[in-house]
Amino acid sequence: MLRKPQLSVEHMVEDVSTIHSLPLFYSQLSEAIDHPRSSIGDIAKIISEDQGLTARILKLANSPLFGYFSKIDTITQAVTIIGVLQVRDLALALSVMDVFKGIPEDLVNMEQFWKHSIATGLAARTLATSQREANLERFFVAGILHDVGRLVMYVRVPEICLELLEECRSSGMILHCAERERFGFDHADVGGALLKRWKIPPRVAEPVGTHHNCSKADQYPREASILHFADIIAHAMQIGNSGEIFVPQLDHAVWERLQISCYFLPTLIKQVDTTYEQTVSVLFGGEDGAR
Amino acid sequence: MVHIDNLAPGMVLSRNVCDRSGRLLLPSGAELTDKHFSIFRMWGVLEVEIVGETIAEDPEAPPSPSTEIDPELLAEARAEVERLFVYNDPDHPAIKELMRICTERRATRAA
Repeated sequence: MLRKPQLSVEHMVEDVSTIHSLPLFYSQLSEAIDHPRSSIGDIAKIISEDQGLTARILKLANSPLFGYFSKIDTITQAVTIIGVLQVRDLALALSVMDVFKGIPEDLVNMEQFWKHSIATGLAARTLATSQREANLERFFVAGILHDVGRLVMYVRVPEICLELLEECRSSGMILHCAERERFGFDHADVGGALLKRWKIPPRVAEPVGTHHNCSKADQYPREASILHFADIIAHAMQIGNSGEIFVPQLDHAVWERLQISCYFLPTLIKQVDTTYEQTVSVLFGGEDGAR
Repeated sequence: MVHIDNLAPGMVLSRNVCDRSGRLLLPSGAELTDKHFSIFRMWGVLEVEIVGETIAEDPEAPPSPSTEIDPELLAEARAEVERLFVYNDPDHPAIKELMRICTERRATRAA
């Protein structure tokens, strides 16, 4: 097996930030939110400039995922009812989904990839609800972004990725371990580095970066643990696919930390099943996608 | 266990209902009213145990599938789920439960 010289995590995300920069609007949005004198109107105005995004945020806000009784039909209302940070997090998830396009089908089916990501996001959000966490959308967004590092790898080193995928399929090896063996790091490290470079807050970037290695999460271990387990749930339910063909190994220390009762698991899975179809159709805008 | 959506006023609890931190919300034997349902939701209780509902004799044993599933489909589903979970310890309580749910879910969907 030939070893590529000196491929580092930093090297992986170096050019990606320019080729696939996060739409300008997200940085504008964050800036407006962080600015002490911004009003809800200012923030709503920035989002409303992107009509596609506006429509998807409103559909999501009106979906059963949120369970509000009154109809939310302007971004101002969404910001008021759901909250500024929550809307920002949803906008982030949606705009990253728009960033990666044109990766060859033999490497990844993007629809399947985002389906796995959405299922992970929903599972993380449901888990976070049961843990009485605040701002649930950061869990949803972390779930949507948890495997984004894999997309970077598909863009940067497609041949090696294809080799790894084939290797795993024939030998039954688990992909993230194969990545680590080949590169010295895995897609989680790459994803974490990319989000950091994009200046996504560490409460999302760190859990994404450590979801296969939660003991490394020193600022947000709870978020990392929830994401780790949510990923396992999405794999177990076999919704979508991001390249991995097995359920990743549960970190027993993570399970201990979460203190979830096994009785909660059927409810959790049911909850993901019931919100999944709706969320997919909202996020994939109109086309209801293959089942 | 009965899901909160399936509860009706007048049902009687067969086990204490506690919130996530273990605080007692309503003792075993209490008769449920509409007000209790919103209290349960507020404290994140999604399932309670009700008198007269079939309860698995052995709490360790997984409850049998509620609807009849073709044993052949079930066996196929089990084999597939075992393959998926090959990197996990099947005796870990969480993994055991996940495998059980996924096997049933898969078999039901295949039917």
